[in-house]
Parts: sequence; structure tokens; C-alpha cells
Amino acid sequence: MTHKVDKSKCFYCGGCVSLCPFTALTLVETNVVCDESKCTKCGICVKGCPARAIRVE
Amino acid sequence: MAEHYDAIVIGCGPGGSFFAKTAAKKGMNVVVLEKKKDLGSPVRCGEGIATQWDASYGLPLNEKSIAMKIDAAMAIAPNGTTFKMGGEGAVVERKIFDKFLAIDAARAGAHILPKTLVTDLVRENGKIVGVKAKRFGEEIEFRAPLVVSAEGMENTIARKAGMKVQHTLYDTDVCYEYEMANVPCEPIIELFFGNRISPRGYVWIFPKAKDVANVGIGVGGETGADPKALLDAFIRERPERFKHAEIIEVKGGDISVGASSEQLVQDNFMVIGTAAHMVDPIHGGGMGLAITAGKIAAEVAAEAHERKDYSRDALVRYEKEWHAGEGATMLKRLKLRKTMEGLSDDDLNFIFENVDGKDAGKLMDGDFKPIVARLLIKRPSLLKVVKSLM
Repeated sequence: MTHKVDKSKCFYCGGCVSLCPFTALTLVETNVVCDESKCTKCGICVKGCPARAIRVE
Repeated sequence: MAEHYDAIVIGCGPGGSFFAKTAAKKGMNVVVLEKKKDLGSPVRCGEGIATQWDASYGLPLNEKSIAMKIDAAMAIAPNGTTFKMGGEGAVVERKIFDKFLAIDAARAGAHILPKTLVTDLVRENGKIVGVKAKRFGEEIEFRAPLVVSAEGMENTIARKAGMKVQHTLYDTDVCYEYEMANVPCEPIIELFFGNRISPRGYVWIFPKAKDVANVGIGVGGETGADPKALLDAFIRERPERFKHAEIIEVKGGDISVGASSEQLVQDNFMVIGTAAHMVDPIHGGGMGLAITAGKIAAEVAAEAHERKDYSRDALVRYEKEWHAGEGATMLKRLKLRKTMEGLSDDDLNFIFENVDGKDAGKLMDGDFKPIVARLLIKRPSLLKVVKSLM
């Protein structure tokens, strides 16, 4: 796993989904699902997360 | 097995519902697919809306969805200087507002399907003919000659359709908000500006009762600023206002603050509302614009439906009307936003001391020159920042 969401911080707002340039993210109710085959670890979702809940490593 | 409709709308926010209501009234068989089980939730905005839509859109704001009626907005400079702008509006309860609009659409004959996640488009010979969705563990195909993206910020399907609607960090504000009790409020929307308070954004206090308010912040996505830390600091620095405040809800989200997308239609496909970046670049409001877009798009869609022609040519009137109207206003406000980005807190203080609500109204309408000229006489050093407005 390279894309991690801290669920104790996440609002499920979908901001990360909106900003991901590779459509790698999907919001399914209270889960942010990352398609690791599309993720390039660019970090845009990290900067755009209002809750600072995402880590990409 | 596929279900067949005249139009499929993705997303049951204000834009999607209003499109569905308008199109259904004109005789179209419309289905709205909403990925969540609850409408209007989680709340991702300040919940403020101007109420001019009431009359012109046959949208009697349901009394239950109004938390508080507003009669003015007050802008506050870093040093506390203020000016007031008149204007009627309301702070709504999104969870009720959105549901009421969906009920309105259903009463008009539209079908609403919550908990239905659209996963992809269906194409035949390259042509969009419907969408694939997941609903209660089942894969369902919906077929229609027209697919409408009202997806909001998460415009994944519009992007898959080939529309250029990708959001960027530069044109996005990252927002964090508390709904707070025991905060004394007037029926006025308050907007606090300043680079220290909120880089490339503002802090807002939107009243929902005389002692309840949405207290939120939006910061420029590219600034890297932490909205929660800044909002907490704003509250901490105002103990007289917030000494008894209790946080009763935490909200947040990202919002577009750029121009609306250039291309809004292609063959068998339309995009409306926040999915097409239809959000005011200055105040970040999107509900009214989404409703406006939904109405125009549905009227054009109904004409296309009558002629059984869903080509780009048949749908393009919506795109043209948008860019001639609200889209053009948004571009002027984007110019203003970009200019404000270059202002220091000292410049902001100076400007607030030298403009009133009437001037601000003119600036919001794109009538920059007379006011900018007046400011430049007093402070010529502003020229390098404001020259794009001349």
C-alpha cells in the first residue's frame, strides 16, 4: 500500500478524488479506495486534503 | 439487462435535482443516480445561498431548509475595517435543502436512485449510450441517449467522457468548517480577509440561528496552508466572540475557485454545476450557479429530446448561454480573485478603508476602472498588483 487514509481524520468529502489527475481514487461512502496501478504518488491529494488525513509513501 | 431512460443524471445535488425536475416537467423520463445513501451529506460548504433564485426558478425555498434568512454581507479587513453589502440570502441546512430539491424532482416525475455508484460509461462504437453502476451489490446498466454529469467536485465520469474538467490545486480552495453553538450572530454573513488569517482565501461566519453559526475557512490549495490550524487560530484570537462556543459538527471539503469549464457538452453528454467548475471564484458559492446551469441545460436537453438529436450541435446552446451569462461574470470575478492574491494585508486594509458596499458591488460586477483609478491616486504603488483590472 502506498496510499494511506487515516480514517480517524477523513471527512469522506471526496476532495482527493476531485484533485487526483489519474482518476485513481474513488469515494465509496466512508472509504476512499485507491487504484494503486494508477497512483503515481504525486502527492496532490495530500496537499488538497482539508483534514490532512492522507499519506503517500 | 439494462434499464432505459431519456436521460441519466449523475449526482443528486442541487444541480442534478434541478435538471431532473425541469427535464421531467418537459416530459422526459429522467433518472438521477446518487452514490451516497443520504442526500446533502456530508456537508462540505458554508451553506449560504442568495435567494434571487426563489422567484425566477420556481424554487420556493422550503421553510424547513432555511436555517436563517440573511440581509447583508460584511467584509472585514485584517485590521478590522469593514464594509457592508446588501443582498438577501439564506443560510440553509444542506441535508434538508438537498433532500427537498430531490423530492421536488420526484414530484415532477423524475426517478431518484440513492446508493447507486456510477463506475463507468457505456459506449457503443465510441458513442456514449449509458452508464454502469453498482447498487446493493448488483451491477446494473442504465441506458439513455443523454448522460448528464452533476457529479460535483468529484467529476470522474465527466473526465472519463473526455471533458476537460480536471481540477487543479491552484484553482481549488481547501476548506475546513465547524458548526458552532453559543456564537452570538446577527443575520449577516461575515467574511474575514487577510494573508495571515487565510492565505488566498477567507474565514467565514455564516449564522444559522442567533447563537449558531458555520465558522469556516478556505485556503488556496497551492499555498500548502493547513486550514484546521488556521481556523483554530482565528477562533483562539477572538475569545470575546467564542468564549462559550461549542463545536457541534465538523465539516470540510475542496472547492473550485477558477473559471467554469470551456466545453460543457459533447455528443450525448452534458456537464453542469461544480463538476464544470461553476463556483463563484470570490465567495466560493456553487448552489445557485448549479441550479441555473441545471435549468438551462434541461431546457436545451428537452429540445434535443423532442428532435431526437443529442449531438453536440443540438446541445451546444446550453454551453453558449452559460458562457454569455454566468460564465462571463465568473471570469470577471476570477480576475478580481487573482488580483486579491497579490495584495498584502496592508494593501487590503487601505482598500477596505477606501471602498464601501456600493463600490464592492461594482467590483463584483466587473466594473473595476473607476474604483481602481480612485485607489491608485491615493496609493500609486498598488499599480503593479491591480493593473490587470485597468
